[in-house]
Amino acid sequence: MKTTVPSAPADAPVEVLVPVPATPSVLGSDPFAEAEEIDPFLERLDALIAARAPVRPAPRPAAPRAIRTQPRPAARETPERPETAAHDEATASTRPAGRAGEPNLARIHRRRWTTTPTLDEVELPAPDGWLDRLLGDDERQRLAALTHLVEGEARYDRYGFSPRIVKRAFPLFYALYRLYFRVRSQGHENLPAEGPAILAANHGGVFPFDGAMVVTDSLLNTDPPRLPRAIVDRWAGSLPWVNIFFARVGQVIGTRENFADLLDDGNVVLVFPEGIDAIRKTITQRYRLQRFRVGFVEQALRAGAPIVPVAIIGSDDQAPILYDLKPLARRLGLPVAPITPTFPWLGPLGLLPYPVSYRIVYGEPLRYHERFGPEGADDARLVRYIANQVRRDVQHLVDRSRR
Amino acid sequence: MSNVLVTHADEPIGRRVVKALFHDPDIGRILATGDGPPPRSFDRFLAGTEPRVVYARLELAKHRPVSDLFHSARYRGAEIDAVIYVPRHGAPAGVSAPTLAGLPERTAEARLVLQHSLEDPSVRSLVAISSASVYKLPPGNANRFDEDSELDLDPDVAPDIRSWIDCDMIFHGEVHNDRLRILLLRVPTVVAEGGYVYLNPALEGPPGPRLRAIGFDPICALVSDKDVARAVRAALTAPTSGIYNIAGSEAVPLSVLASWTGRSNVPVPTTLLGWLGAGFRWLGSETASASVETRHLRYGFTLDTRRAERELGFRPGYRIGLARAGDGALRLEAAPI
Repeated sequence: MKTTVPSAPADAPVEVLVPVPATPSVLGSDPFAEAEEIDPFLERLDALIAARAPVRPAPRPAAPRAIRTQPRPAARETPERPETAAHDEATASTRPAGRAGEPNLARIHRRRWTTTPTLDEVELPAPDGWLDRLLGDDERQRLAALTHLVEGEARYDRYGFSPRIVKRAFPLFYALYRLYFRVRSQGHENLPAEGPAILAANHGGVFPFDGAMVVTDSLLNTDPPRLPRAIVDRWAGSLPWVNIFFARVGQVIGTRENFADLLDDGNVVLVFPEGIDAIRKTITQRYRLQRFRVGFVEQALRAGAPIVPVAIIGSDDQAPILYDLKPLARRLGLPVAPITPTFPWLGPLGLLPYPVSYRIVYGEPLRYHERFGPEGADDARLVRYIANQVRRDVQHLVDRSRR
Repeated sequence: MSNVLVTHADEPIGRRVVKALFHDPDIGRILATGDGPPPRSFDRFLAGTEPRVVYARLELAKHRPVSDLFHSARYRGAEIDAVIYVPRHGAPAGVSAPTLAGLPERTAEARLVLQHSLEDPSVRSLVAISSASVYKLPPGNANRFDEDSELDLDPDVAPDIRSWIDCDMIFHGEVHNDRLRILLLRVPTVVAEGGYVYLNPALEGPPGPRLRAIGFDPICALVSDKDVARAVRAALTAPTSGIYNIAGSEAVPLSVLASWTGRSNVPVPTTLLGWLGAGFRWLGSETASASVETRHLRYGFTLDTRRAERELGFRPGYRIGLARAGDGALRLEAAPI
């Protein structure tokens, strides 16, 4: 937070950056307190970049085939901070190429991207069973496009994703999407038509219906259809049957290797950077984002993937937590032991989400990788700074979308 | 032109390696060793007055026979400059139980092969095949491992996996040797035509029911035995040394792999796995997953093979799947990509 130091000489007023402790809010901790606390780092950011060896930009590898691309809006100015002419001059020779020039992708090793064909290229399959008849032609065509993600006899990808199982489960999620949560969404033009991208979204609710709705929404509103691969906590992988279902519908355990591999394959990866803290939020903290993890930023920089902020409105209202019985959760080995208006009073039925209306908004992609390059992932302070910036963007998107 | 020694050439992976090397014009003489008599498929390799392939029966786990081989006229005459260590994957000859028997021998063999390869100045490279089950399996399905992933050094690990880790570390310790170029190839489940499965702790052995943790269906990375042979050939000619993950392009759930290979998969509660395994073993059954770590029956893994692709130039050349055989039955086949 900027303050003027009173003891400074009168002829040379100097503005210095002094961290001021954040005032406790009735809504919980101020989500921007940390971002402001780290602000002094901004002043040294370019010096850090200048200290690094210059990296020659390399052309982005060509896509395996021409795919219709969606219009991409101009990237935002990131990070937002004043720059002086002298400062620009000092860093111009060594700064990696940014958005204005070639992207700084020199050290990014890529293999062939896994892509789905456009809807024009997919033949409409005949309805297969009564479940298929619940879907329209467009939905069936999109599901048919997913079969191209898996090659060979196995019909599973290396994380257990099965288009066949997705096809069977889709009518349920489609009904939830259209009828139960009545999802409205906007900003699909911000989802890249090809190549890797990270969707960073706010999270809420005891069960991850928000993730399912984002995946469904992306699948239904992109061409070629893009199925985001959601990163889930390792805890989910140890749950019987749940782990199988999650794997078959495309969710992946959140390890560095898995994350890097998904991006290397050109996937859209959905992350909830708040992690498990998000589902522990009580009703007073609704839509106040918790501290972001930084792993997704490292991966975005290393893989050269844009980060798309996503606001999900409705997830924090689907099962608001009145109180979290932390000792009981610890004893049972659960991430949260919630008391909601309906749980445990109605038994297991009380855990079902309320039929709230969902709204999903995709923000403009943040292209930090073009400015800082893959070597930026090794700078812990830079990564933390970017994570805070992304959190701020998602919070702004959430606040704007709630109005 | 390279002359090579191949161990356990009488076992399926060794047979495949010898076959691949026999058709390689860059390979000269092949000295194949094994526990038992030469496989019948070697008949045409061994025919003629001066065959390129020489087969020797050898107890590789015993010091004296191995020492005798490395100092024999036959070995000197072959001018061996590369050793390919194909590990024992099952029980030694004459031992019917595929569980704990044979594990100490596997470790002893690895140590002896390395020791004699280091002592022999004419041997310039050693290619060792190891199992990818050496990696520590955290909860989750599937985990992706690269060569730097943590090994499972838990003292309570199953004996079979402990044996693989011991072998792996024996070679790992000499990977940076200045004189001898050592390449350690970690392979996942090896699938051979006809539905044979090797190096999978949950499915190895003769046909029969297999136990699986209920509510879990671990992903198994697959590689064809032909691709393993191709990787060995690539390792022989590569100018590098180190550890490399070798895997095919397929990964399937354990239940699917079991059905492909004609084995029924019986899901049982995790808490009962140990008891049932011990019971089957007590009854003398060879099909129970008696010594299998329960984690391998719950969580799966795939391998990051980018290092092998970059440094060895290895890419999977075969796709694994079911194909209809001449008699109309569906059998596991590896078809060239």
